[in-house]
Amino acid sequence: MNSNSAEPVIHARKLSRTYPFGDSSVTGINQVDLDIAPGELVVLKGDSGSGKSTLLALLAGLDHPTAGELVVAGHHLSNSAGADLTRFRREVVGMVFQSFNLLPTLNLLENVCLPALLAEKPPEAVRGKALELLDWLGLKSRLAHFPAQLSGGEIQRTAIARALINDPALILADEPTGNLDSRNGRVVIDLLAELNRSSGRTVLIATHSNLADALAHRCIRLRDGAITDPTCDG
Amino acid sequence: MRRLTFFLRLFLWFSGRHMRRHLGRALVVLFGIALGAAVFTSVRLSVYASLHSFTRSMDFFAGTAEKVLVRPGGYVPEGVLPVLLAHPAVKDFSPLLTTYVRVYPPQGSSFLLIGIDPLLDQSFRKWRIRGDREKKDERWLDLIREPYTVILTEPLARELDTVSGARLKLEHTRSTAEFRVAGILVPEGLALVEGGRVALTDIATFQEFTGLYGLVDRIDLTFKPKTTPLDIEDLTRKLPEELELRSPSAARDSGTAMIQAYQLNLSVLSFASLFVGMFLVYSLVALNAASRRRELAILRAVGASSRLLFNLFLAEGALFGLCGWLLAIPLSSLLVKYLLHSVSQTISTLFVRVQVEGLVLSPWEILASFAVTLSISIAAAFHPAREAMGVSPKEAMEIAQTGVRGQRSVGKLAAWAVGCILACVPLSLMPGVAGVPLPGYLAILLLFVGFSLLAPWMLERVGRALSPALRRFAGMPAYLAGRYLRDSRTRTSISVGALITAVALFTALVIMIHSFRQTVELWVQQTVSGDLFVTTKMGQVNRFRFPIPEPIVAGLQQLDVDADRVPSRRFQMTYGDFPYEFEVLGMDTFLKHGGFVWMKGDPETARPLLLRGDGLLVSEVFANRTGLGIGDVFRAQIEGSRVEIPVAGIIRDYRTDGGVVFYSWKEFRQRFHDPQWSGVRFYFRDRTRDIDVQTAELRESLIARWGDRLDMIGGKELRHAVLKIFDETFAITTVLLLIALAVASLGITTTLTVLVLERTRQLNTLFAIGGSFGQIRSMICWEAGFLVVAGELAGLACGFILSYLLVYVINRQSFGWTFLYTVDWATLALSFPLIVLTALVAALPAVRTAFREAPATLLRER
Repeated sequence: MNSNSAEPVIHARKLSRTYPFGDSSVTGINQVDLDIAPGELVVLKGDSGSGKSTLLALLAGLDHPTAGELVVAGHHLSNSAGADLTRFRREVVGMVFQSFNLLPTLNLLENVCLPALLAEKPPEAVRGKALELLDWLGLKSRLAHFPAQLSGGEIQRTAIARALINDPALILADEPTGNLDSRNGRVVIDLLAELNRSSGRTVLIATHSNLADALAHRCIRLRDGAITDPTCDG
Repeated sequence: MRRLTFFLRLFLWFSGRHMRRHLGRALVVLFGIALGAAVFTSVRLSVYASLHSFTRSMDFFAGTAEKVLVRPGGYVPEGVLPVLLAHPAVKDFSPLLTTYVRVYPPQGSSFLLIGIDPLLDQSFRKWRIRGDREKKDERWLDLIREPYTVILTEPLARELDTVSGARLKLEHTRSTAEFRVAGILVPEGLALVEGGRVALTDIATFQEFTGLYGLVDRIDLTFKPKTTPLDIEDLTRKLPEELELRSPSAARDSGTAMIQAYQLNLSVLSFASLFVGMFLVYSLVALNAASRRRELAILRAVGASSRLLFNLFLAEGALFGLCGWLLAIPLSSLLVKYLLHSVSQTISTLFVRVQVEGLVLSPWEILASFAVTLSISIAAAFHPAREAMGVSPKEAMEIAQTGVRGQRSVGKLAAWAVGCILACVPLSLMPGVAGVPLPGYLAILLLFVGFSLLAPWMLERVGRALSPALRRFAGMPAYLAGRYLRDSRTRTSISVGALITAVALFTALVIMIHSFRQTVELWVQQTVSGDLFVTTKMGQVNRFRFPIPEPIVAGLQQLDVDADRVPSRRFQMTYGDFPYEFEVLGMDTFLKHGGFVWMKGDPETARPLLLRGDGLLVSEVFANRTGLGIGDVFRAQIEGSRVEIPVAGIIRDYRTDGGVVFYSWKEFRQRFHDPQWSGVRFYFRDRTRDIDVQTAELRESLIARWGDRLDMIGGKELRHAVLKIFDETFAITTVLLLIALAVASLGITTTLTVLVLERTRQLNTLFAIGGSFGQIRSMICWEAGFLVVAGELAGLACGFILSYLLVYVINRQSFGWTFLYTVDWATLALSFPLIVLTALVAALPAVRTAFREAPATLLRER
């Protein structure tokens, strides 16, 4: 976990991503400059098609920028590939998806342990850590359940535990409340805020919802692939 | 009409465009179906060509004859002609003789020479000399006017490079003579017999040429209108006892039955490729239905009925069937060229002589192959189509799946599976229906279905048992692979089912072919024992009908050679309509050097009976076809002698032309008449001296004394040739098998790719949470390995059961023979690494597909 460092945990300069579309191209994000300090909780806002998902994909190491510079937690993502990106995704960032994306054939405990086991960490230690996380998230009684047997809120909390198992410096959440009711959505946002407060982890939440606005240190608004308001006020 | 137009339009929009977008997958499935259809069609057409050639030959040969007068095992004396002439029921009669001859000096293969009375034969068979108009020119009378004239068919004349008016030397068992070619036959009627390779001559010339003075093979009869069965009986009473009146179609029907049994066998084998191809169609249609679930929900939400969705996917299956069949046409045209020759050669070797001129496109066979291909494909699409029907419009509102969709209970499937497999037992015990082993084929189908249904349960058990160990010893990728397969159930079991079918077929055929070969080898070593075999010239092709001339027999008996001699004579007989050979053999000498491969009966008890002439041996095929068993009395009229001897034992024999009966030469001569020699085999007494050298010396001395009047073959050479023939007959089976394996490999490739495509989101999630390309690739390879190992093990088990069905049920009921069951463990063991290698190769396209979509798509809303 990277905290209390003078360097921004996310540093982007003139970051762009375009997609070829027939004879022309579509701009995902265009010339984005962004700095996020360690320990910040940032809300990323914008309408559909504004570039939120594109930016998040770049920050998560799931995509490559077409142009510009991107450094996340000391990793230069603009020119990383292969094993470097794999290590980055394991060690530096934890993803929480809108569609939860738990593996349906693994139970709750196994889903949480999975990233650490992929990183070839000792299974016993991984299990202990997973139990700790699940206990903290109030899911200790559901360890042997499969995703199909859990509620939306429980699934998303499991996904948060999975994102934390490798102790990442950065949590990226893509519309974490998008498929939840307001009560569960509140619970999830509060959890993410609590994570940020207690551990000093940097948390970036891309969302339409206003639930996180009051808890965020900063709000960034995107429109048409560019940051229009780096300090948006709701 | 409007509904149909709308449906076609929707099909093009929904299914057609999707297929075009994912053309690779569709093409793989199409190719698999096309290959299966091509094999099936080619096999059917190849055998049909032989069947057509055979039946046409027999029909043209029989002509308008209503009855045929024959003497079983011998010739009909011309002395009966006055009896026929005098009988009020007889309208016309025509005597006939046939033999195989060849051109001298020998070039090309032998051909059929038919001796007829040109005048009497006119009302029986159709034949015309080119240039003659309705026989007004009377050139055909040259046959009567001028001895040693012959009329040839066009193909034969071309082959022999001869023309009308030319002279031609013909060679027969007993003599060689020069003939003048009196004309060339128009290609119709009798000229089309034996693939168009026949020659006609006058019966008197024939008799003089062959030495059969006063004898004919048969006399064809037609009767006056209103002839009753009583009239036929009256005629029979007036004829000598040793003569029989038979239906002219008896030989044709018997041969047709044998060819049709062979056709059915090959069809079932070739159908396996189509059956395996069915799994391909299922995989892809199931993928389309599963991966487009949201689109189906949207269609339902905007007003489509569930039946419409059902029809869309059924139509996908139908399209694969139709296009696959069309693609099979060029594939068939390549395959059939190879199969046509092999199949006709096999039929000629094992059953009846056929001469195939070329492919015959039977509309019924083509329609049958189209119907089977289409039905298979539609049947394969049925289940996915039904699943698609069940998609609720509400699913259009859902953003993402959270869990595994409910699937059919594997326990229930396993129960059905066990039921199907157990049902094979009573079915295998049932007799055939009209000579066709239908219950046996049904048992085979249930066996395949049963093991395929068992696959989900098997995968679940294996996954459950291995998962903990896998994590410990093989790491996370193996563990995840095991877990996925454990829970994937019917999705992966389709691919396993295809592989089980292919491996089972491979296993069963390896065992069957090995068993057959081992048994034939044993038979060859024991029953076809001997150092030198001597027969009359062209004896084999003329089915040993012409004995060795007496002076030569005397010379052979007195020959100064240190060898035992075993004389033999073969008579071509029929038991009812079933053809067999009655062979008298120098039993005492033969049993000293060789022997029989016993099936039933005690050799020690039977031996004295055989030597005393108080018992005879029948082959397994003979016993199965006639129902005669040990102790039953064999009865036959052989060249005027009434033979009635009990059966002392049943032995295995794999010569062609149906069954065989063995009896002591010495006893036959004493009790009945001198059978004469059709052949003799020599056994050298001095085994310390090189046998090849002794054989060569004896051959040279026989040639020096009798020139080319005898045909000879060394024992080793003959045994090698027999085994080579058997190997060649199974070449077709091996080709069909390899094609089925190829289609199954395509099936694994397709299914693995389908499984990856279905789980794109999961695989991208693994990637997003820290899984490396290598780990995910490894996981897919482990999945491929598990599928293949599961398929291989179940396929082996299924294959062993199938081999029993093939050896003891199908072969027995189809052809009358069985083999000593032996397993070729070496070849079976070799299949395992080959199939695992196939799996790894099959996994490559799936691995490449895994990351075709960028992981960033995870972040897109559905």
